Amino acid sequence: MSEEKRIVKSYEEEMQSLNDDLVKMGSLTESQLSDTIQAIVKIDKEAAENIIKNDAQINELRAKIDDQISTVLVKRAPMAIDLRTTISSLKISHDLERIGDLAKSVAKKIEPLPIDLPQELTGSLKRLGELVQKQLNNVLDAYITKSKDKAIEVWRNDEQVDDLTHIAMNEVANFLGKNKKNLELATHLLFVTKNIERAGDHVTNIAESLYYLIEGEYLEGARPKGKEFVKDK
Amino acid sequence: MSKEELLKKRYRAEKRFKFYGLTSVILAILFVLFLVNVIFSKGKGAFSRTTISVEVDFNTEKLELKNNPTNEEIQDTDFYDLSIESLLNVYKTKGLKEEKDLIRIFSPDYEIEIKNFIIENKGFLNKTAIIELTASDDIDQLNKGNYPRHLPEERRRISDFQLLIYDKLVEDNKIQKTFNTFLFTNGDSRDPELAGVGGSLLGSFFTIIVTLLLSFPVAILASIYLEEFAPKNRITDFIEININNLAAVPSIVFGLLGLGILLGTFDFPRSTPLVAGITLALMTLPRIIIPCRASLKAVPPSIREGALAVGASKVQSVTHHVVPLAIPGTLSGTIIGLAQALGETAPLILIGMVAFVVDLPSSPVDPSASLPVQVYLWSEQAERGFVEKTSATIMILLTFLITMNAFAVYLRQKFERRWS
Amino acid sequence: MTNNKVKIKTEKLDVFYGQKQALKNVNLEIFNREVTALIGPSGCGKSTYIRCINRMNDVIETCKISGSIKIDGQEINNKQIDVVRLRERIGMVFQKPNPFPKSIYDNVAYGPQIHGLADHKDKLDQIVQTSLKKSALWEEVKDRLDEPGTSLSGGQQQRLCIARAISVNPEVILMDEPCSALDPIATAKIEELMEELKKTFTIVIVTHSMAQAVRVSQRTGFFHLGNLIEVDTTDKMFKNPNNKMTQDYITGRFG
Repeated sequence: MSEEKRIVKSYEEEMQSLNDDLVKMGSLTESQLSDTIQAIVKIDKEAAENIIKNDAQINELRAKIDDQISTVLVKRAPMAIDLRTTISSLKISHDLERIGDLAKSVAKKIEPLPIDLPQELTGSLKRLGELVQKQLNNVLDAYITKSKDKAIEVWRNDEQVDDLTHIAMNEVANFLGKNKKNLELATHLLFVTKNIERAGDHVTNIAESLYYLIEGEYLEGARPKGKEFVKDK
Repeated sequence: MSKEELLKKRYRAEKRFKFYGLTSVILAILFVLFLVNVIFSKGKGAFSRTTISVEVDFNTEKLELKNNPTNEEIQDTDFYDLSIESLLNVYKTKGLKEEKDLIRIFSPDYEIEIKNFIIENKGFLNKTAIIELTASDDIDQLNKGNYPRHLPEERRRISDFQLLIYDKLVEDNKIQKTFNTFLFTNGDSRDPELAGVGGSLLGSFFTIIVTLLLSFPVAILASIYLEEFAPKNRITDFIEININNLAAVPSIVFGLLGLGILLGTFDFPRSTPLVAGITLALMTLPRIIIPCRASLKAVPPSIREGALAVGASKVQSVTHHVVPLAIPGTLSGTIIGLAQALGETAPLILIGMVAFVVDLPSSPVDPSASLPVQVYLWSEQAERGFVEKTSATIMILLTFLITMNAFAVYLRQKFERRWS
Repeated sequence: MTNNKVKIKTEKLDVFYGQKQALKNVNLEIFNREVTALIGPSGCGKSTYIRCINRMNDVIETCKISGSIKIDGQEINNKQIDVVRLRERIGMVFQKPNPFPKSIYDNVAYGPQIHGLADHKDKLDQIVQTSLKKSALWEEVKDRLDEPGTSLSGGQQQRLCIARAISVNPEVILMDEPCSALDPIATAKIEELMEELKKTFTIVIVTHSMAQAVRVSQRTGFFHLGNLIEVDTTDKMFKNPNNKMTQDYITGRFG
């Protein structure tokens, strides 16, 4: 990013406000995700209700950012870094909103879960949740500092997310294998695991968008993939 | 002060300013009207001339003329006795003094007038004709009402007897007022009733032609070169400054130049339109070059660039595009410069155009007068007839100047082409 | 790019106006049958650059040009080159429409006439018609070729100037901010026209409108203070320029 200010002050302000809102949306999403992980580990149904309520805030911000981007596109016909910032912001806000939605749907699954969930099931899930949460945290840091290296790191670490997902799913599968009565619970848990993994995918998307914003090029090569659960079977 | 008051003050100031401006304009118009009125009221008399009808009996035997004489034969014949006899018939006189008085109510060229009449109307040979002979200046003025009758006789140029004759002639309807063609056809004369501006008109005409032929091409080429081709350096700057200086040099200096170089060194004929034309051309050159350059400069550079960009050469871009656009400006500049030259007096006096020239010039190398100099010459004369002729000449000169300027305006509007 | 042939190549081009250096060591290649846009702040030398290509700077006495300008490999920056012949090959359209104050017909016919391209009236008529058709003006003016060129609207005048430029069948058309005096509709028509013209001609356009540069050009060069800062494909220049100065200029950060 250029440290020089734009000649048109209002343009400068518009871009600044877009950036601020995106950061705000990022931190909101981040806390929603971490709350969700906490709630699922502790089976905190009250917290889950709050999470479901708070999602509306993220959606509102998404709408605001969308509107701001339309305005900038129409008014300023942004070019070069500005063009990339605007386009990436659009994509990043979309990904953040999806993460928020995923957190919300995970929170919805907390309600039917029993309070005394076996420790063996939540261990991997917690690790996975914390990893995704850290990934999101890192990518938001990278966005704020416009760090290309951090963005690449996040992108690479998606592999770990996939691996952890694989492990967590295997545990649930084993749990189901022990007793067919566990089917309903297992389904819920599979769903939760998959959602968290998808949140991780969106984090990777954000890293890619960020890389394009900074470098003007797309990250080369196929996205790092962990072992697929389905393939493994 | 409140805003309201400020606003009112501003409006008042605006009104005052408009009032001052309008007053100045009205004052200027009044001056002009006054001047024109003076000139007209004084000069209008010069356009009419008083004539006296005289009966002349063209008896060929008495005149010792053959039948069917040629013009030359008539020219060579003595008409003096016939003329005197006819004039004396106008009124009954006793004694030489009265005869002299009677003859003096006629202009001294009565013999020539009678001779010219019979040359043009040969049918009146051996017949009696009534000829309108020009009255003397004094009778002319008396007839125009300019002559003070009430003064005692010794303070009048017209004797009591002449007044008697005049009154009788008026009673008999023998005094006429006709349009004064002499004013335009005659040369200068010692007698105001015979004097005309014909000579000086022709003189001015030849002078302007010489000036035009010399200054126009030189000025156009010089300004095109300076504006379009000359490199921009100290020398061209120097030339430019000096052209501007030359335009401001008093015209009398150019007169001295003409006197010293044309008459002194090159021995050109004195008092001629040729010398006057060359002198005025020198004076007019910078005055034409300046508006010509200005109108060339006014042609937008985009036109030159447009022409150059399609591959026109420099000369083509100038002759095909720049000059046609500058033509109205150059023409009107030239005409106004020439109009100035036409009104110039001082340099002409120095090169001897003040000479008293009776004959009409037939070419630029004949001695002649010019209109402004004629004004100067006549304004010095005492006779009333010359006073009105002076004003009349000014009117003629002004008519020419206004016509030329109007023509300049017309040309500018007609040929002016708009560019975006 | 489909055409990789270099049409104009300048090397080590330095231009001085008196003491002031207007172009500093400009090395630029302009490709055949492409639109090359030159952008940069006022006084950066972009107009000076295109005026070097058809030697219009010769008009300015204090202008000194050194370095090499080659068109199809032929050096044109020397005294042996006849500028009249050169300008027949390289047409130019200016910022302000400048039709001659003559009829529409004469405006277009002038170039072919002075270059002797038409030996009889029919041929000249034909050239005028083709040129006006190529400049998308024929339909609008075919019934009033006798009217003065200055009676047309601004956009039509500019298209008339384009017709005038292409009437001598040049290889290159230089455009010096051709749309800066025009309204958006007229601008759109000229841009549409350029799309068509670039099939036959090599076009170099100087523009202050970056949006226009993006729309019409395939390559863009950015000038600043007489230096050619960066030149690349237009796509690259406006999405991700290499140089920080270029970026600052096109994103409106220039001080």
